[in-house]
Amino acid sequence: MADESITVVKVRDVLMVTLPADPDDASVSALQMKVLQMMEQYDATGLVLDISAVETLDSFFARTVAETAQMTALMGGRTVIAGMRPSVAITATQLGLTLGSAMTALDVDRALDTLTDAGQRGQ
Amino acid sequence: MNAEHAGEVRIHSESDIVATRKTVRTAATQLGFGITDVTRIVTAASELARNVFRYAGSGIMRWQALDTGGRIGIELTFEDRGPGITDVEQAMQAGYTSGGGLGMGLPGAKRLMDEFEIASEIGKGTIVTAKKWHGRLGDSTS
Repeated sequence: MADESITVVKVRDVLMVTLPADPDDASVSALQMKVLQMMEQYDATGLVLDISAVETLDSFFARTVAETAQMTALMGGRTVIAGMRPSVAITATQLGLTLGSAMTALDVDRALDTLTDAGQRGQ
Repeated sequence: MNAEHAGEVRIHSESDIVATRKTVRTAATQLGFGITDVTRIVTAASELARNVFRYAGSGIMRWQALDTGGRIGIELTFEDRGPGITDVEQAMQAGYTSGGGLGMGLPGAKRLMDEFEIASEIGKGTIVTAKKWHGRLGDSTS
């Protein structure tokens, strides 16, 4: 049931994922596999991970997100992590977490801007 | 107000890491910590609960409210009867891992809390005690 708890939606060429406030490790791991499969299946060019609801980003969660972004990049897609809360950003920085190659955006709107505009301008 | 002053979560499965986070979040919020400190405390608890599950298989998390002459805080204790930590100093170094993790669990949790102690005995287990006091670490958002 873990992989049913997080929904992946395709909008145009972009996969959109809204992460729940407090997912367990199994759901986070299952999400990674699901996203990669959908990238291939739908020929997506980008991935937006909306973490605006996420209250706790610990090292396991952050590593899985960073890995997912890296794997998506290897498949030719770009990942934008959107909506990190201030309290989560402060904690993640103190904890020493980084999100690898993933881009970040203040919210989902700007994440989509980043993926569409930058893509068209070849940046 | 029926405020609780102590509680515990038994850690036997991965889902108990989520249960630990929920319990600690409720406790810290109820003790009056601001959102940033609550996030720090819960994140530290998540790292420590995962360590218990990953290295010892099972254990217990206990929390209690601290009140020393008007100074309010929370104490978290993670106790397991796992293999113990061979070299505590090494385990506290960022980047060191013996279990395929990021090597951030213990040093990361220490940075997020105000006080941090590890008592570990090979073959007997590990007890990690972490405390957080109100309004520390220059937290302007709490």
